[in-house]
Amino acid sequence: MTHATPRPIMAGGSDSGMRLTFGVLNAIAGLIVLLGVLVLAQPRYWALDLPAAAIGIVQWVSAVGLLAKRRWGLRALTIAAWLSFVLGLAVVFLVVLTMVFLRGVHGSYGMAALVVSGLVVALLVPYIVVVPALELLWLKRRQSERSS
Amino acid sequence: MTGRVLRVIAVVYIGLLAVSSLLLFGTLRLDRARGARGPVLVSVWRGGQRTERRVAASEAEAVRVLRDEEGLPGATRVVDQIADSAQIFRLGRLLFASSVVPGQDGVSATYQGRTAYLTPDDLLELEAYEPEVQIGSLRLVLSMDTDKVLSALARELHTSLAELSRRGHFRRFCLTPSASYPKRVALNDVTREAVKDAVKNAARYLVTNQHRDGSFRYEVDALTNTDSADYNYPRHAGATYFLARAANHLHDARLFHAAERAAAYMKDRATLRCGAHACVGEGKTVDVGASALALLAYVELYQGGATDFGDSARDLAGFLRSQQRSDGDFQHIYSVSEQHPVDVQLEYYTGEAAFALSRVQRLSGDARDLEAARRALTFLVRRPAWFLGARYFWGAEHWTCQALEDLWQRAPDPVALRFCLDWQAANRVIQYSAPPAAVAYDGAVSRGPIFSPRLTPLASRLEAAVATLSVARQAGVEPAELQVLDNEIQRGFAFLLRYQYTPGPTHLMADPRLLFGGFPGSPTDLHVRIDYPQHAGGALLRYWELDPR
Repeated sequence: MTHATPRPIMAGGSDSGMRLTFGVLNAIAGLIVLLGVLVLAQPRYWALDLPAAAIGIVQWVSAVGLLAKRRWGLRALTIAAWLSFVLGLAVVFLVVLTMVFLRGVHGSYGMAALVVSGLVVALLVPYIVVVPALELLWLKRRQSERSS
Repeated sequence: MTGRVLRVIAVVYIGLLAVSSLLLFGTLRLDRARGARGPVLVSVWRGGQRTERRVAASEAEAVRVLRDEEGLPGATRVVDQIADSAQIFRLGRLLFASSVVPGQDGVSATYQGRTAYLTPDDLLELEAYEPEVQIGSLRLVLSMDTDKVLSALARELHTSLAELSRRGHFRRFCLTPSASYPKRVALNDVTREAVKDAVKNAARYLVTNQHRDGSFRYEVDALTNTDSADYNYPRHAGATYFLARAANHLHDARLFHAAERAAAYMKDRATLRCGAHACVGEGKTVDVGASALALLAYVELYQGGATDFGDSARDLAGFLRSQQRSDGDFQHIYSVSEQHPVDVQLEYYTGEAAFALSRVQRLSGDARDLEAARRALTFLVRRPAWFLGARYFWGAEHWTCQALEDLWQRAPDPVALRFCLDWQAANRVIQYSAPPAAVAYDGAVSRGPIFSPRLTPLASRLEAAVATLSVARQAGVEPAELQVLDNEIQRGFAFLLRYQYTPGPTHLMADPRLLFGGFPGSPTDLHVRIDYPQHAGGALLRYWELDPR
């Protein structure tokens, strides 16, 4: 019996193609975070502003580094991806617990809140969890390929 | 990060989230349906204040408690049985304030082995439910007022607020349902007699709370029997209109006299000159709304025999026509100081003006009134290609469909009928059904999933709904659609009747006699403003007038 070779999760895509993709994605994500939290969301609240500013800036730095093909671009991407991934998981955790809190306090009366919060999670997850996870997988794969 | 590490992270994360969620949910949830299981709270209330409270371990023990105090003049003994309770987390004021269901949950605090209880009645008396808080430019409504609740609990436990906040343990609890308030009104209870009684009582509230000069007690706090300092002429005119209608339809001379006095108050004290015509209001600017509603009242009084309001009505109609724009809309403000119209638009006023002009044409016989009303209605129901560009959209604007009904025999507008039927369909989407909503809230319209519903936004929608039903019947709309609309209306009325003060939670009121017939703002807001009975009574009166089928 033979074992099939495991297919790499991030198979396919040239190095420059992935740099371009992640560079553009991070630039858009950074812009959305900075505009959304620092411009549109009111009033100012440091507990929201500081992490959002940190993510936004790191995303932009990594985007510039990747698109300009700088050596430090990949290091910046690593930091941006880990930061987004960890904070993203924390945000989703808090949103889900908030949904459970509302459901627990209000019972079935809170169904509408549950649906809206569920929609928020569904919209957030691709950007704040999935994309950083894909970036981290790509970085690891790239590192493995280089070392072998 | 390798794929394997990612999978491990995902499994651990989802597991942690699931366990945390289950623990949190199990800690927070209340079983409202189960029978009494907690202690029994026996209270005595006098003049809207709780004077005594005893906690009995069982129902048998509670029967003997506070019987002497119950016999005191004006005293009411209230027995509340706790059905279930759940922990409240002390993780900040915002979380604390969000940890109860407004109007349904009480709060207890345990400190140094002693426990104090604030029942929903206590929280209503403290006006601690659903406070508005301002955080920067953000205005939020929370479930309860943390400061008021903690202060009251600290007083009960003879400690300081800070000490209680640090060392107290808090729980929320629900009670077994009360039989007295809100009343148990089902769909079958919405009979013609019940509707007529509710109208009479609403009108009676306004008469009871009218001053000698014809003005009303604008907003009465049921808990303290104190008045708000505000006054508002559109609402005064609306209350006058309802009183006059109720008087005419119920053939009640006392109501008619009260309406005459209220109308005279506007005519003599709040009538100004706006160009060539009279207008109603005060100050440097007036709005079209007060004049439109005053016109409705004058027409109703004229039809009831007070013909001296005829000239005033025709004069106000001239003012409204002079404010109309070429597209059918109105300029809603008039600058009295500078004697010119101001072309700004506010909610409700175009619909009010359309309805008033339609009504006055029956008195004036002036074709210009009818034409102005028809054009205004056409404008109101026109749907722009770009919805975001619409100046009016489905909200609580309830005069358009009343204008439709009044115009139907003289200037039928099928587009307006479709608009009104669609609007009611939209209203049904936000109408509560029990279950899953609380039984008492069945038929109410939602203002958000975690807040108690308000009565007047529903009542005004019902005014429009009944007008729409009337036209839909005349126009031969499908019986199935009529049935759905009628059902929506009856469920809405059942909700209103549950909360009307007949007599209401009298033990919480400083003077229940003065509140009889009034409608509160919401299950957690026991104030009565003059437009609350006006809209609720107006909708009920329309339904009572309707041919029963």
